[in-house]
Amino acid sequence: MKVAFERTFALPATADQAWKLLEDLERVAMCMPGARITERRDARHFKGTVAVRFGPASLQFRGELEVLALEPESRTLRLRGTGTDATGGSAASLDLTAHIEPKDAASSTLAGRGEASLSGKAATFGARVADPVAQQVLQQFAANFAAELAARAPAAAAPSKPLNGLGLLWAVVLSWLRSLLGARRT
Amino acid sequence: MADTAELKEREQKLQGMGASLLRKEDARFIRGQGTYIDDLTLPGMLFGAIVRSPFAHARITSIDKQKALACPGVVAVLTADDLKPVNLHWMPTAGGDVQAVLADKKVCFQYQEVAMVLATDRYAAYDGAALVEVGYEELPAITDPKQALAAGAPVIREDIADKKDVGHGPRTHPNHIFTWESGNKAAADAAFKSAAITVREEILNPRVHPCPLETCGCVASFNKATGYLTVYVTSQIPHLFRTVLAMLSGLAESKIRVVGGDIGGGFGNKVPIYPGYVVATVASIVTGVPIKWIESRIDNISTTGFARDYHGVGELAADKDGRIKGLRFSALADHGAFNSHVSASKLPAGLFSICTGSYAIPNAYCRVDAVYTNKAPGGVAYRCSLRVTEAVYLIERMMDVLAQKIGVDKAEIRRRNFVKAEQFPYTTSLGWTLDSGAYHAALDKVLTAVDYEGLRREQAAKRADPKCPTLMGIGISTFTEIVGAGPTKVCDILGIGLFDSCDIRVHPTGAVIARLGTMSQGQGHATTYSQIIATELGLPASDIVIEEGDTDKAPYGAGTWGSRSTPVAGAAAATAARKIKDKARKIAAHLLEVGEGDLEWEIDRFKVRGNPSQAKTMKEICLVSHTGNLPPGMEQGLNAVAYYDPPNLTFPFGAYLCVVDIDKFTGETKVRRFYALDDCGTRINPMVIEGQIHGGLTEAFAVALGQQLPFDESGNHLGNSLMDYFLPTAMETPHWETDHTVTPSPHHPIGAKGVAESPHVGGIPCFSNAVIDAFAHLGVTHMDMPHSSYRVWRKCQELGVNKRPGDA
Repeated sequence: MKVAFERTFALPATADQAWKLLEDLERVAMCMPGARITERRDARHFKGTVAVRFGPASLQFRGELEVLALEPESRTLRLRGTGTDATGGSAASLDLTAHIEPKDAASSTLAGRGEASLSGKAATFGARVADPVAQQVLQQFAANFAAELAARAPAAAAPSKPLNGLGLLWAVVLSWLRSLLGARRT
Repeated sequence: MADTAELKEREQKLQGMGASLLRKEDARFIRGQGTYIDDLTLPGMLFGAIVRSPFAHARITSIDKQKALACPGVVAVLTADDLKPVNLHWMPTAGGDVQAVLADKKVCFQYQEVAMVLATDRYAAYDGAALVEVGYEELPAITDPKQALAAGAPVIREDIADKKDVGHGPRTHPNHIFTWESGNKAAADAAFKSAAITVREEILNPRVHPCPLETCGCVASFNKATGYLTVYVTSQIPHLFRTVLAMLSGLAESKIRVVGGDIGGGFGNKVPIYPGYVVATVASIVTGVPIKWIESRIDNISTTGFARDYHGVGELAADKDGRIKGLRFSALADHGAFNSHVSASKLPAGLFSICTGSYAIPNAYCRVDAVYTNKAPGGVAYRCSLRVTEAVYLIERMMDVLAQKIGVDKAEIRRRNFVKAEQFPYTTSLGWTLDSGAYHAALDKVLTAVDYEGLRREQAAKRADPKCPTLMGIGISTFTEIVGAGPTKVCDILGIGLFDSCDIRVHPTGAVIARLGTMSQGQGHATTYSQIIATELGLPASDIVIEEGDTDKAPYGAGTWGSRSTPVAGAAAATAARKIKDKARKIAAHLLEVGEGDLEWEIDRFKVRGNPSQAKTMKEICLVSHTGNLPPGMEQGLNAVAYYDPPNLTFPFGAYLCVVDIDKFTGETKVRRFYALDDCGTRINPMVIEGQIHGGLTEAFAVALGQQLPFDESGNHLGNSLMDYFLPTAMETPHWETDHTVTPSPHHPIGAKGVAESPHVGGIPCFSNAVIDAFAHLGVTHMDMPHSSYRVWRKCQELGVNKRPGDA
C-alpha cells in the first residue's frame, strides 16, 4: 500500500542555514523519529534503521538510503530509502523530495513531498493508520528539524528513541478527531 | 411371530440408520481429549518455521543465513538451493502445473515460502526466521485477474513463460492457464437470438478462505535405520497424500505411513499438498529426526487453500413468461501464482457445469478462463465440490434477475422452470444426469411453512411506508448440488480413480471394526458409518468401531471432500456389509438345515420362512463363523472388503428461504428467519444431518455477509487475521429452522446422497437474494458479496433511502 504526502513547514532560520542542515544527512536522519544512520558507505549511500511501534507491534526496518539528488542552487534534496523489517514479514520504501524556500531575512519554509510504500504485515495491519502515522512522523520530523536549527549548536549524539507507540497513537487519535470536527463529512 | 413392540426394541438396540445416535467422537472432543497434530511430540523433534516474502512479486537477490544460524537453538536454514540436489525445490501440482516448494530466485505472491528454519523449539525457530536476511527487488504485481491477460502485463511465471500448455490445452498469454468450456455454444447463441427476454449480470464470488479452527501442519518422521517414513498430517486425503509423497521422495509407498489423527475442520483447506509439508518431510529424511511444522493463523489465511475468486457473467434467455430457453455463463478464475488448484484431472473447472441448477434449460453453454495473479495458489472447494458454489450462486442469482426483469414472483419463476418429478433421471443440456428430485414439492412445503404470501404482503406494506426504518428482503434458493465424486471414468486425481473403500472385520462376539478410505474432520463418520453397518448386519452400532486416516490400517480411498464420504465410502460400507451378510446367510442355512431361499432377514437375524421360531441371530452366526461348523468348503471368518466406483454422482437438493431486515441508517442486516429444507435422500442420522446443516448455513452466512480476502494494488493481503476475517460466533449466527423431504438416490446402495455442503452451496445465494430483494423495488438487480453493514450502508446512501425528513 502507498501513502502519498505533501507538507510545508515554517523554519526559524534563513534558507542558507536550513539548507546547510539539510545537506548533513546524518544530522537530518536524527531528526527523523526512530531513525538512525548506522553506516556511511559513501557521500550518497547510507545504511540505517527505523524503529516504529504500533501498539504491541514493534517494527525495526533495516535498509539503505540513497541520495538521488542534492542541488544547492535550488536547495532541493531527493532521496530514496528501502528497508525490510527485522521480523522478516514487512518491507517499506520511501521516495522523498525536500525543498527549502526563503521566506524573509530570518525564516524559510521546508516543503516535503513524497510517497511511502508498505508491504507485508506492516501493510496488512498498518494500513488503517498509515496515513495519519505518516503525517505525525512528518510533523515530529519538522519540529525536530526546526529545533535543531534553532539550537544552532552541534547536538550531542543521542540514542534515537523509537517512535513512541502510545504518544504517537495519541497524536494520531487527536489529529483524527480534529479532522472529524474540522471538516463536515459528505 | 414377534410382536411389534419386540421388533421395535430390537431395532432400537441396533441404533442403525434413522436413529439420532449421539456422536461417538464427541465424548473425547468435549473433554478436550482430541489429538491434533500440534499435540504430538516425538523424541528429538525439531520445529520448522517458514520465512515468508513481504512482497507479492519480487526477485530474490540474496539470502543471508549467517545471523539465523548463529541464533541459539537454530540447527539449519533450508532454501530452494538446499532442496535442489534432491530436485524438490519445485513440485508438480494436481492441476498439471509446478509449484515452488521454496521460492526459487523469485517470489510470486505475498507470504510465499522462501526458507525454513529448523530449531530445537518453536520459539527458537521463529527467532531464527526473523534473522534470515533476504534481499528483494520488487516487481509490479497483478492482483486483479482482469488485468492478467492485458498486453504488456507483468509475466508472473517466467519459469513456464514459453510453455504452450500447462495441463489443460493451449495458452494464449503468459498469464493464461487454461480455457475450459462445456455445452453447445451455437445452440445457446441461437436461443438468445430468438428470445423475447434476455438478462445479463456480472456476478462475483470473492476470494474467501475456509479458515478451519485448526490450521495446517505436520510432523514428519523418517527412521534412517528402517527406511520408514511416518507423516502425521492435517490431510483430508491421507492415501493420495501418501501416493504423492512416494512420487516426490522416491521412497516405496509401502514404507510410508500417513496418519490423519483428529482434524479440527477442513472444509477443503486440508486437501492440497502444501510446501510446508514437503519441506518438513525432506528435512526429516535428510536429518533423520522428526520435524514439526504448524501454520500460524496468518499463514493459514494468507497462503493455504483459499476458495472462489470467480468473476462470473451470467446470461439467461427466456420467453415472455420467463420459461428459460438458453443459458450462457462464463467466469474468469483467479488461480493465484501457481495452478495448484484442487481438481480432478479431466475437470479443470471442477463441476461448474452443474450451473443449469434445478431447471430444465434446453440450451446451455459455459466457459471458464483461468489466469495467474500474484496471489496465493492452491484454491480449494470451500465446503462444496469444486466450483459448485460458484455455479449455483450464478444460476440462483440469475433466476431472481430474470424474475425482476419480467415482473414475476421469485418463487413462481422457479416453479415454471423446475425439472418435474416425473422427468427424473433427467439429463441436463450440459450433460449431467440428475438422479432424483421433487423440486416443486420441496419449494411448496417451504412456502407454506413460512406463509410466503403473508411475508410478501408485509414487505409490500413496508415498502409503501416511507417512515419504515428498515428494508425487508425475502430470499429464495432452490438449488441442486452435485456431490460424491466420483465415477472413475470421469473423475481421477493423478490418474487414480475417485472410488472409495471399506474393509469390515467381524469378530466372534459380534463386535466389528470397519476401516474406510475417507477421513473425518468433524463430520461424525465414526457414528454414521457404524449406523449403516449396524442396519446392514444387524449388529449394534455401539460395538462397531470405525477407523480411518491411517494408511497402514485403512484400505485405499480418495478421502473426504466434496460430500463424498456417504455417497462413495458409505456405499462401500453397505456393499462390504452385504458381502458379509451373504456369507452369514449361507452359514444360517447350514445351521438351520434349510435352503438359503427359505430364509428371510428380520432386523438382526435370519428366520426360516413360515417357521419363525427357527432363527439364527447375526451374533450367533458371528461366533459360528469362527468355528468348524461351517458349510463344506467355506473358510472361517466373516470379513469383507469392498471398493465402490459410483455409477453416477448424487444430486441432493433443497429449498431455502431467508427473511432479512436491513437498517436503512446503519446498513446492518438482521436475519429474521432462515428456513432450510434439505433433501439428501435416505437419512442416516437426523441429528448429524441437522448439525451439518447448521454448520453449512453458518459458513454460508459468513461468506454472504462478511468473508473476503482483499488485496491492495501492490498485492498486500489486507485481511489475514481474525481481526479482519469474519468468522461468525454464536453472537452473530442467526437461528436456523430445518426441514426435509426424502427422495432417495436410485443408484446408491442405501439411497443416500450426501448433505454437508448443501447448506453452504444453497445458503449463500439465499442470503444474497434476500439482501438484494430488499432493494429490488428500487431497481437493484445485483450487489456483490460480502453484504457487510458498510457496503449495504453505502448502497442505502447511493439510493438515498436513508434520507431523513429535512436532510439536504
